[in-house]
Amino acid sequence: MKTSASAWQRLAAAARHTSEKNDDAAPFGFSTRVAALAMAAEQPALRAMVNRLLWRALGAALVLMIFSIAANYSSISLTADGDQDPFDPVAEVLTTS
Amino acid sequence: MSDDVEAAFDLAACLERVRARDQIAARELVEHLHPLVIRIVRAHLPRRVAEEDLAQEVFMKVFTRLGQFQGAVPFSHWVSRIAVTTCIDHLRAQKRRPEFRWADLSEKEADVLDAVLTSENDVGVNDALAARELVAKLLAQLKPADRLVIQMLDLEQKTLIEISQLTGMSTSLIKVRAFRARGKLQKLFEQLQKKERT
Repeated sequence: MKTSASAWQRLAAAARHTSEKNDDAAPFGFSTRVAALAMAAEQPALRAMVNRLLWRALGAALVLMIFSIAANYSSISLTADGDQDPFDPVAEVLTTS
Repeated sequence: MSDDVEAAFDLAACLERVRARDQIAARELVEHLHPLVIRIVRAHLPRRVAEEDLAQEVFMKVFTRLGQFQGAVPFSHWVSRIAVTTCIDHLRAQKRRPEFRWADLSEKEADVLDAVLTSENDVGVNDALAARELVAKLLAQLKPADRLVIQMLDLEQKTLIEISQLTGMSTSLIKVRAFRARGKLQKLFEQLQKKERT
């Protein structure tokens, strides 16, 4: 009995005898259609640039949000506790005048 | 596609025009690349997918990603890799074929299989077409990437370097995939040998 490996090799060798006689040239109208579709599509570079800018803007907004929370943490926590009145600039001006 | 052909075509100028959204240049590029793309598509065509549709998908990816082409590899290799990965994606998407059985083979295919399993003689040239059909059915049992590698190695008789250039896989990965594919084929042959031809 033949070994399996050689069976595959003999089968592959037999399959190689077939000659592909297909025409490799593009069918009529194919290149025109593909080119038109490709050119009609949105410019990927522009889309990628807009995407990149949007992500950067989102990142910057997040950083700003975190920074402002950290900077005002004490007043925010006091307000949340309710022990002291929150800073009221209008009341401050009225009392001093 | 040789580098001489690329030089004669003036690929660089054509790519420059395509990047400037020149539709005529895009058409010329499609016509230039079609033989390369269609050969890959035909060799790795999944069931129920028309070769023209798949070729069109490859070209659309080429145009979409053209901005990413840096020239680190020849353009034909870059296009080949897109074609290969597109074919692999389609092969992965298709449902696995049912178990390989004698009953699924045509009379000619069964004769060829019988011959390679039992006979010392080579399969006749007249049976080459049946052998090819049989090979396609056997390869359909493999994982898409393994199938691609074994097809390029054993049927198209490409070298490891050529396959590496066309697919972007390392030569060691190609060897591993070829080993795995041959192992799976060996199991299939063993299973068929155990079963009686019906």
